[in-house]
Amino acid sequence: MRKTTFGALTLAAVFASTYAASASADDFLANDVRLGSYTVLYHANANNLYGPYVPDGVNFTAENLETLYGAYVRWFTPNIDTELALGYPPLAKIKGSGPQTLGSVPYDGQVISSARWISPTLLLEYNFFSPNSPFRPYIGAGVNYTTFYDRNSTAAGDAASGGPTKISLTASVSAAFTAGLTYRLSDRWHLHGSFGFSQVKTHLTTNTDGIVRTSNVSFAPTPIIISIGYSFGH
Amino acid sequence: MFKLLRLSAFALGAVYLAACGSSSQTGTTSASTSPGTLSVTPPFRIASLNAATFQGELAGTATGAQLLEIAGKPACGVDFYYIRFWTVGGAGETTESSGALMVPTGAAPACSGPRPIVEYAHGTNPNKALNIADITNASNTEGVLIAAMFAAQGYIVVAPNYAGYDISTLGYHPFLNAAQQSGEMMDILTAARTALPTTLAAATSDNGQLFITGYSEGGHVAMATLRAMQAAGKTVTAAAPMSGPYALEAFGDTIFYGGVDIGSTEFAPLLVNSYQHAYGNVDSTANPVFSPTYAGVETLLPSDTPIDTIFEEGLLPETALFDSATPVVPGEAELTALLAVPPTPALPLSAETPIFQLGFGNPYLINNAYRVSYAVDALTDPDGALTTPTPTPGVPLAAVKPTQGLRQDFYLNDMRSGWYPKVPTLLCGGDKDPTVFFSVNTVTMVTYWSALPAGAVTMLDVNGTPGGPFEALQAAFQESEAAELAYLQTAAGGGLTLAAAEAQVIEGYHTAVAPFCAAGARAFFAQF
Repeated sequence: MRKTTFGALTLAAVFASTYAASASADDFLANDVRLGSYTVLYHANANNLYGPYVPDGVNFTAENLETLYGAYVRWFTPNIDTELALGYPPLAKIKGSGPQTLGSVPYDGQVISSARWISPTLLLEYNFFSPNSPFRPYIGAGVNYTTFYDRNSTAAGDAASGGPTKISLTASVSAAFTAGLTYRLSDRWHLHGSFGFSQVKTHLTTNTDGIVRTSNVSFAPTPIIISIGYSFGH
Repeated sequence: MFKLLRLSAFALGAVYLAACGSSSQTGTTSASTSPGTLSVTPPFRIASLNAATFQGELAGTATGAQLLEIAGKPACGVDFYYIRFWTVGGAGETTESSGALMVPTGAAPACSGPRPIVEYAHGTNPNKALNIADITNASNTEGVLIAAMFAAQGYIVVAPNYAGYDISTLGYHPFLNAAQQSGEMMDILTAARTALPTTLAAATSDNGQLFITGYSEGGHVAMATLRAMQAAGKTVTAAAPMSGPYALEAFGDTIFYGGVDIGSTEFAPLLVNSYQHAYGNVDSTANPVFSPTYAGVETLLPSDTPIDTIFEEGLLPETALFDSATPVVPGEAELTALLAVPPTPALPLSAETPIFQLGFGNPYLINNAYRVSYAVDALTDPDGALTTPTPTPGVPLAAVKPTQGLRQDFYLNDMRSGWYPKVPTLLCGGDKDPTVFFSVNTVTMVTYWSALPAGAVTMLDVNGTPGGPFEALQAAFQESEAAELAYLQTAAGGGLTLAAAEAQVIEGYHTAVAPFCAAGARAFFAQF
């Protein structure tokens, strides 16, 4: 998966440099940085956990969360840009869902594990109207790469699983889409609001003292982003 | 800009590299495969039940409710851990085996802190997937029994699944191999003691007391383990082998003479496969054990196919151990008579009656020629418990080592091997047991040890006239059997005739005795 990441980024760099060289450099400020808030609604859907000693109906959910959003935008033309968006890796809490207890161990509603994920999204965006318009809607499409780290089973999770538990989640590459609106504050400052969509699919594997359980998890994170941007350079 | 992108890529790479190395810990696998090594530390907990939940689960089924009456309400919760450990197979193979560590939990003083260990050896089981630790599996009735009887009353329970079962890749089960099975019992005990402080129930610890028990096959295992631990100088507090085939030579002779026990067609393939691996002297092309109808049957058990399906598919006869056309040995009238089908008994039925005749049929499992080779050896070099008209004083083994292979192996694994229990020992069983004959096994051992001081070896026949310290238990067993017999004759119970009802009660007798003997063992252990 590392190869994919670097591949995507290298592609973006080549793509961006080609456009930068050919664009009319005087018409617009070619770089934006944006900072804001990133609200993720998960819409997670997981198969019931499968493996030895797992009763029927053992499932889990992820809590929605908010984190910091940052992006770098490179303009190729006054209407076309590419955005590399990153959220500060949020700590996603996973809660048990299903039976109230497993044996006598509480399960439903317990925070059983947590994971951080980093999810860079590379988008090619088209902005409507002219750069001087106060409002500029934009739409974009691209690719999202999601990888998980700091995966920890909580004490409650270990108790429910039957012992110290190692969690692994495969990385996901998927298409990403966005639609947003830019409000121009000045030549250099602007506000943005956007709504996105992508489909992340990951294979969950837990290992508790040699006992392996699995699930396929798909979630459609719909980030709602409010940010402020600053333009600079050519 | 390029710089920024590169930085991002670098940052992302760094994060991702960090991700590769960061994850929570789980169990570690041991590199050593020496006997008694715990394979995975800490052990996996299959389930954790508090006392109330366990009681509720038991009360939810008819057999559970009955067990609750015999065992009493759980005083403690129980954590069920799955132990994987290294041991040695029947032919000296280094092999991994598995089993249970059940740990009492809860606030009551008898449920945590230093607690005694009960080590339990299970009975013959045809199911290869048997995992006695898996309390979530409804077919694991023996696991439930020992959890309710011992763990829920404050005993730490250690119980192997045995080599050949569950995760074992040994390929056969060293059935009634005293050296292997006692070795495995000692190995799981070592592994369990290593595992105990690392469990999620670390508040419960080993107080150093060790009680050894087991039922049926496990009765033999328990007795062999007591013998082996004594020989190794290891501490045992007390032992209670239950309904076991201890006097294997006498038991084997009885069966080959026509006293076919219930379950014999399951035991035979297990036994032949076990002894053939360990000693290589049971089966040969010149004198094959099994009839051509069942060629290859020695590797059938334990199996992933349910035993009922095995019978239905004709892979194993349900009861016909021997050919109903019994052998006629020219010039050997006594032998020929010995090998005839036993006569039909009169009512009321007893264990040794209709059951024996079920042991004969066609198709049959064991060839007549093989039966004759065994019987000739048994007749010329008789077992001391079976000499006629009266047993040899002290009921010793055959005077000289048998010459027939299987009988040699019985002789080797017979518990009358010149030793005696040095700790208080209870031998429990039921005198009508049609599966493991009480008189041939339990009574023979008690007679063998009759010169020991009073109280060294105690015999408990749950079917005996109620009296003494186990009076209530004996009465309860007998009431339970009478109630079952009456029930089977009612419309709700199937409206059986008395004879049919008696036959059914006898068929279930060996299993019915188990919880009562276990309760007897617990009461016995509680004195120490």
